[in-house]
Amino acid sequence: MSLIDSIMAGFSLVGNFEAFLSLAIGVVIGVIGGAIPGVSATMAVALALPFTFPMEAINGILLLLGVYKGGIFGGSIPAILIKTPGTPASSATVLDGHPMAARGEAGRALGMALWASCTADLISNLALILFAGWLASFALSFGPPEFFALILFSLTIIAGVSGDSLLRGALSALLGLLLATIGLDLIYGTNRFTFGDPSLMGGLNFIAVLIGLFAIPEIINTVWHPTGHIGTVQKLGSKWVTFAEYRRCFKSIVRGSFIGVFLGSIPGIGAAPAAFLSYSEARRKSPNKANFGKGEIEGVAASEAGNNGVAGATLIPLLALGVPGDVITAIIIGAFMVHGLQPGPMMFVMNVDIIYGLFIGLIFSSALLFVIGGLAIRGFKPAADIPKRILMPTVLVLCTYGVFAVNNNIFDVGVMFVMGWVGFAMGRYHIPAAPFLIAFILGPLLEDNFRQAMLMSGGSPEILLRGPITWFFWGLTALTVVAITRGTLDKARDKG
Amino acid sequence: MTLRKIGATCVLGLGLIATTALAEYPERPINMVIPYGPGGATDISARAIAEPLGRAVGKPLVMSNITGAGGATGSVAVQNAKADGYTLLFARVGSHTVNPAMKATLPYTLDDFRFVTVYEINPVACAVRSDSGIETIEDLVAMTESEGTSYSSSGVGSMLHLAAVFVLDEFGVENPLEKATHIPQKGGGEAATAVLNGTVTFICTNTSALAGFVANGQLKPILVTTAEPVAGFDAPTAVDLGKPDLTQLVGWTGIAGPDDLPDDVAAKWGAWMIDAAGDPEFVAQMNALGSVINVMSPEEANSFIQQQYETFRALVDKLGMRVEG
Amino acid sequence: MNQRAIQMQLGIGAMLVAAFLMFYAIPNWVSSPTNIRNVVLSPRFWPYVLGGLTGLVGLGLVVFGRRMSASEAPLNEAIDDPRAGALRLMAMAVLMAVTFWALSRIGMVWTSMLSFAALAFLVRTRHPVTALVCAVLVPLLLYAFFAHVAGVAIPQGEFVRLP
Repeated sequence: MSLIDSIMAGFSLVGNFEAFLSLAIGVVIGVIGGAIPGVSATMAVALALPFTFPMEAINGILLLLGVYKGGIFGGSIPAILIKTPGTPASSATVLDGHPMAARGEAGRALGMALWASCTADLISNLALILFAGWLASFALSFGPPEFFALILFSLTIIAGVSGDSLLRGALSALLGLLLATIGLDLIYGTNRFTFGDPSLMGGLNFIAVLIGLFAIPEIINTVWHPTGHIGTVQKLGSKWVTFAEYRRCFKSIVRGSFIGVFLGSIPGIGAAPAAFLSYSEARRKSPNKANFGKGEIEGVAASEAGNNGVAGATLIPLLALGVPGDVITAIIIGAFMVHGLQPGPMMFVMNVDIIYGLFIGLIFSSALLFVIGGLAIRGFKPAADIPKRILMPTVLVLCTYGVFAVNNNIFDVGVMFVMGWVGFAMGRYHIPAAPFLIAFILGPLLEDNFRQAMLMSGGSPEILLRGPITWFFWGLTALTVVAITRGTLDKARDKG
Repeated sequence: MTLRKIGATCVLGLGLIATTALAEYPERPINMVIPYGPGGATDISARAIAEPLGRAVGKPLVMSNITGAGGATGSVAVQNAKADGYTLLFARVGSHTVNPAMKATLPYTLDDFRFVTVYEINPVACAVRSDSGIETIEDLVAMTESEGTSYSSSGVGSMLHLAAVFVLDEFGVENPLEKATHIPQKGGGEAATAVLNGTVTFICTNTSALAGFVANGQLKPILVTTAEPVAGFDAPTAVDLGKPDLTQLVGWTGIAGPDDLPDDVAAKWGAWMIDAAGDPEFVAQMNALGSVINVMSPEEANSFIQQQYETFRALVDKLGMRVEG
Repeated sequence: MNQRAIQMQLGIGAMLVAAFLMFYAIPNWVSSPTNIRNVVLSPRFWPYVLGGLTGLVGLGLVVFGRRMSASEAPLNEAIDDPRAGALRLMAMAVLMAVTFWALSRIGMVWTSMLSFAALAFLVRTRHPVTALVCAVLVPLLLYAFFAHVAGVAIPQGEFVRLP
């Protein structure tokens, strides 16, 4: 079958009202789910899954993909409005989005988040359609040594989000790395800092830590200083994002999208590191470097581009290899299986109409996201006008429900509270929270891949340099470390 | 408006208290704990049976994933729950026979649970990469003996971990812990990927987790542990190869409550399960994944689990695999 | 607190934490099998690396902190009455502890209503009536959403159950 035939076959599958309706319903569910902290894109997809069983295969899968994409965008709404990332992927958006909201520019931040998300989504989908086969075979050459080198490089983004003191950023990251060691050891299954508690054996829940670190300190701060916000009343603001701003950020958005595509096509990384990497790259390249972290619109654009760039690319290993790129695509695989479809190379031969149907649907999903996201921003607008001392108790209750719902475990609510105090103390000592979070995500990956590589080689460190991919990332890491050291020394000299 | 709302809530609440004492089990939704994450074998099986089971029970079943520590976090949540029949567990081979056999520090034992049924059996298959040059289990054993092999699992104390060792041990590899390296991964999906990208030599896991890769020709099955051949898996069975003991090595999903679950509740569940598992749609869905639906009575389920546990425990003790720390 | 004080306190704190980890916490609270072939594979290897790095960063903070001038302006905005602030913080800690304790006993909905009201009172809201209305409505609405739309088994406690 030629390409044209395949595309026509795909069109005949999705060229109907139901397909678009399911996609639109999916995006709506996703945006709402993503906007409620604790529900997150993952849970929204898991909840929607059983409803797709009786549907046509293609419609069901399009609905789930809509939820996925909507959810990743939806997470930015509470991240900007109430400093609570709705989905882990939107934690980078908090860094600049919330300061903008505090300045009364929430509308502008949300608008940019939407534009950047849709652009990145489109780029990601195009990458999926054009490069699926090629990127998939590339992803399979990532074994533990390659992962180790990639993650080591990703850890250098800590320098980009450390704020004014690199050492304090490093301290924050170390704290994150240390807390991430709690739980059962991967290689031997022994206990590390668990004190025999079955809830600790599973490790600290990531979402509980995330919400505890961002949302709860805001509440404690209000308790400490209840009138601190008066005079800087937070409003959605009349200002909307302009096309000129979009053009100014366009480079960062495209760069972020490609970072997302790249990290998304490699199974096991996920959207949060992509958003942080995109953010720190945008900061490094920007003339307004000093303004990052204080409400720079380009920071919002870069973070949202990074995490939405992942959303199409995770489908590359899914469709081309049958390997899920993250938790969400792992659930979506379930939908394929229930309909008797086996994602993988054979699917491009056996069910080419479904593949192209999905591609066509995905292209439209970016447009749908733009429309529905715009409506959602207006829908959530009232949240920005709630008086702060009513909003804070609401956030507390919302986070309690949300964090519980993630893993149905009350213990996680306790983790969230404790992390809230840690976050509050860090704020008092001007320790940035972002390095903590990045380290908490990447630390276990770094350790596990290192030890897996050592198991593979029987303890010989040579395996860490086994091929061009590892050389590339080791080189990149070395370059970045040199650049950071020089930058820090220059800054120190300027001061002294 | 507010006062009326509060008042209404209070009246509603009081009404509910009043009915608690009278009504018969079940008079409210039942919380079903799935100790593994969404998308896994346990989750798919649990959510597939939820619909026909909900119809049989007559009250909603609330599915709760409580993940962590290889199924231990969720299992403990049910172990500590009130034995009123409103919190039950989808128990799985990993959480209830392999983990108790392998982990000394596990916060529960088999005796802490009362099984009402085992309803699903998954065959286990071992597979290698198609271009690995390994054609049969004998090739794999020979390679293990000569240059050493490696296998992936979804973690220490998972069924995959024990399965690989069990198979090598049955086929006469002496000291399989030394000759084959265990490279644990974070989950079942990652474990299969590790074979695909050449990190490890082979994997032994449920056929449902491998079916896609086998159908696509990416992985080649070299053994299934059932007595009967498995559709879609072109590989000899354990019985064909003269290792009938390996038929003990199967995955299963069952339903359990805390050990002091009342008899009438257990009896009701027995009847409901027979009802629900007969649902043709459910059976077709599970068969498509390679599972066999077979509802066991509580006694059958208990002796089945006990026997599997003892087999695993004997192997663990023989090879010194028990995790003490 | 000024830059220098913060830097010094953090540095010394980090070194103390590192020492505690290396000499007490890791040997006692991280168990490791005895038959490990290679030291880098030990479950204790990575925590020791992190402990060591924490110590180094602490040292760095102290060294750079000593070079800073002590006369810089305080970093944190002062509040009118720090004593009342500290009391409120303590009340918040108690509120969280009580909330956590009560969640599994009287259920998430009732606990949330009480903690909403308590927190609104604690931050001295200017809209007490609205706060009370919200304290009742928000947990109920969230319950309706999570329990009936999202299908989550929200803890109900042992006393009054919601449908």
